[in-house]
Amino acid sequence: MRAIAHLILVLLLTSTAWTQSPFAILSGVVRDDESKQPLVGANVIVRGTVVGAATDRRGEFRLSRVPAGRHALVVSMVGYERKVVEDLTLTPGQEVRVEIELRAVPIQTEQIVITASRREQSLQDVPVSVSTVTAEIIALRNHVTLDDALRYVPGVNLLQDQVNIRGSTGYSRGVGSRVLLLLDGLPFLTGDTGEINWEVIPVYEVERLEVVKGAGSALYGSSALGGVINVLTRSMQEGMNVRFRLYSGMYDKPRFREWEWDSKARFNSGVALSLSHRTGAFGYLVSMHRSVDESYRQNDASHRWSLYGKVRYDLSSSQTITLSANLLQRVRGNFFWWKSLRDATRPPESQLDGRVESLRGNVGLSYKEFISEKFLLTVKAMYYGNDWEDYKREIRNYYSRSHLFQGDVQGTYEFSPKNILTFGVAGNYDMVDANLFGKHPGAGAALYVQDELEMVDRWKVTVGARLDWQKVSVLPSTTQLDPKIGIVYTLSAETRLRASFGSGFRYPSISELYIESPKNISQIPIVPNAQLKVEQSTSVEVGFNSRVGAHLVLDGAVFSSSFTNLIEPAVAFTENNEPYIQFDNVTRARIQGGEMAVNIDWWKRVFTTQIGYTYIWPRDLTENALLKFRPRHILYATGSFVAEPFQAGVDFRYVSRIDRIDENLVRFAPIPQGEQRVAIKVVDVRCLYTTAISSLPFRIGFNVNNLFNYHYVELIGNLAPVRTYFLTIEGAIE
Amino acid sequence: MRRVVLAAIACVALACEPGLTPPPDVEPGFGGVVRFERGTWPPRDSLVNLWIFASQIYPLDSAKIFSGLFSNPPFIYIYPSFTENISFYVDSVAYAFKVPPATYRYVGVLQRFKDEITPRALRVVGVYVNGPHSTQPREVHVRPFEFVRNINMNVNFHKLPPQPF
Repeated sequence: MRAIAHLILVLLLTSTAWTQSPFAILSGVVRDDESKQPLVGANVIVRGTVVGAATDRRGEFRLSRVPAGRHALVVSMVGYERKVVEDLTLTPGQEVRVEIELRAVPIQTEQIVITASRREQSLQDVPVSVSTVTAEIIALRNHVTLDDALRYVPGVNLLQDQVNIRGSTGYSRGVGSRVLLLLDGLPFLTGDTGEINWEVIPVYEVERLEVVKGAGSALYGSSALGGVINVLTRSMQEGMNVRFRLYSGMYDKPRFREWEWDSKARFNSGVALSLSHRTGAFGYLVSMHRSVDESYRQNDASHRWSLYGKVRYDLSSSQTITLSANLLQRVRGNFFWWKSLRDATRPPESQLDGRVESLRGNVGLSYKEFISEKFLLTVKAMYYGNDWEDYKREIRNYYSRSHLFQGDVQGTYEFSPKNILTFGVAGNYDMVDANLFGKHPGAGAALYVQDELEMVDRWKVTVGARLDWQKVSVLPSTTQLDPKIGIVYTLSAETRLRASFGSGFRYPSISELYIESPKNISQIPIVPNAQLKVEQSTSVEVGFNSRVGAHLVLDGAVFSSSFTNLIEPAVAFTENNEPYIQFDNVTRARIQGGEMAVNIDWWKRVFTTQIGYTYIWPRDLTENALLKFRPRHILYATGSFVAEPFQAGVDFRYVSRIDRIDENLVRFAPIPQGEQRVAIKVVDVRCLYTTAISSLPFRIGFNVNNLFNYHYVELIGNLAPVRTYFLTIEGAIE
Repeated sequence: MRRVVLAAIACVALACEPGLTPPPDVEPGFGGVVRFERGTWPPRDSLVNLWIFASQIYPLDSAKIFSGLFSNPPFIYIYPSFTENISFYVDSVAYAFKVPPATYRYVGVLQRFKDEITPRALRVVGVYVNGPHSTQPREVHVRPFEFVRNINMNVNFHKLPPQPF
């Protein structure tokens, strides 16, 4: 803590902000070039500086700390062509106003993403498959937690809250995620189980999600076997901004009387409040979220409080520092699996009076400086703490406390627009204290480098590698080298071809190494396995992105990933023929497939259609069989209608029936009728009305999730949510 | 127009499909046929009782038999009941054994051949086995609301399977 305080002090003292030179003011408005309507939320940034803002609801922006000189203004927004206004010459004290018009393009093109190469770049320049989910979509669909937002991303499916990109992940109840989650660029997996905890992320403050598919350890290190998901929180608008969101959802009755366990209606409601203020160099954001989900299942209710705060200070036009903090307190019933398919909304008697209390939070520090117009330095540090306790009535059975500290120093140097070098160092230290896993420290360090090079016209090559070192408790340390190479070929202004190779790895989490439990969690004991080896993967992908005419975008890819030493919970037997569960390196696997996404704008973007289909061929090479817990077909289709002030949409998702599950797990856990599963065929519908009350924006939304009340499981023995009606009210004071 | 009709048909199809459904309210258990080798039946005075048994544990010993039968809940079950028998001197008997959901590691036919209540008065005369040439007991998994069929056994009173006690 003292070191962080010292760093802040040094940065403040060395800042040029105190020897302030006069600034110019750059303001303006951003509009749609056809309708001339103001564009809300467009990003406006002075190139080579940290000076930037998002447009307000009038499409206006105001940058009050632009250094005098000649600049270029970069304006971007999802669904619009990126525009660079060159040669803006500003003198001290001068105020310049610009009017910018953006040309609408089919969505998914000209989008800016940062995760694929650790820097901002156009989606079409990325050599791997990337999908994004914007805050607008999250709000429209009324996603309460971020995992819900991923349910309509091509190639992604969820086993309840466990994310699976192109079949990389099987059944592990979240333990040891094979998808790396980043929060504003830093790994955000829990220190004990290495899992993603979606509820900690402040959904209301998310600007967008970026999903990078395929192995990504060459840039991000452990856990990026199947892909990387980066959650980017929103920046503060100029001036005062108060926002609120109220939602209330009601679960419908299941189709079958056998599953009605409560005669009363069950609700899922919440309120989120957010206050942000930015004037010149200083800005802050505070938000609070309270939610109560009574659940459609017995003993599955969840009560949450979360607080999120962010402070940003621009030390100068080239330096900015951001401090953020986040805290979640949650009490949740313990519904591990159903009592039986006949009692699918009730847990076994033994789980009826169980609950989990958790307190989780993180504190992050980010410092960014343009050392020169070509050299950007980024320093990030984060503490992520997790504390959970498992109770049966008032008796605490299990607890776990983990503290994870991590840091990353990255440099991005632009030798020329055709040669950009990214390099950095990263480190982490974590400490776990749990009665299930024991008390164990862990530490790691890494070096990474990547060069993006356009040596020949139309050919862009990216090469990179990362060297990781990791040590857990008393186990021997391990090192890992992960290379990557990517190629983008510009076939025409509309079409780009891409190819990539990457590798990934995952250190076993402390829970997988050391979990030890008698017959309390499942009916058979779980024993530790400190001999676990590192999981590894390699991914190859060839794809294209093409704009056909003005209204159609196609994105396709074929891919192949190989996995070795996959860690799975497996049932084994003692010499006395007694079964037990142990995490083990049991499987070699190969997952191949293809993916196609089609985005169409109809009739001046009044209608939009998005269809994504992924075919997966998951082979377990050890057993020469299909890999367990992976679907073969994933299809998503979305149709939207926008005629201001109305919006409406329908989403359909199909995930084929899981071909193969672990029969032993079902049998020995035991999960009565746990083998029962069907294909997922779910339709969600939504509508939204936007208006203004006393010139303040206000909108009302209505969603019906699982419109046809289709009953299915994502995770064995866990009935997915029944039909739910949501009413949402949102407003803002600016 | 065709698109609208197709979309409507798809919606109706989806609306009609429930997905998972609760299974019927079936009393859990297992059943099948016990076939007796002709000409091997013992004399009537050595047929005090003839039961089908289902044990959740294997192997058994004398102490486990009685604790298994009389513990609460028991882990060894008897069919039809302590006071009833399956039919004598027949070629085969069909049975339906209602037991709690569990894994039964040892299922077979038990003969009480003496009029005393000790393990010495009991012998296993048939076992549900892994295959025609195996003597290893085969497990029977009984799940809630599930009745497992085709748990068939053969009994040859002249050729007894390995005894558990």
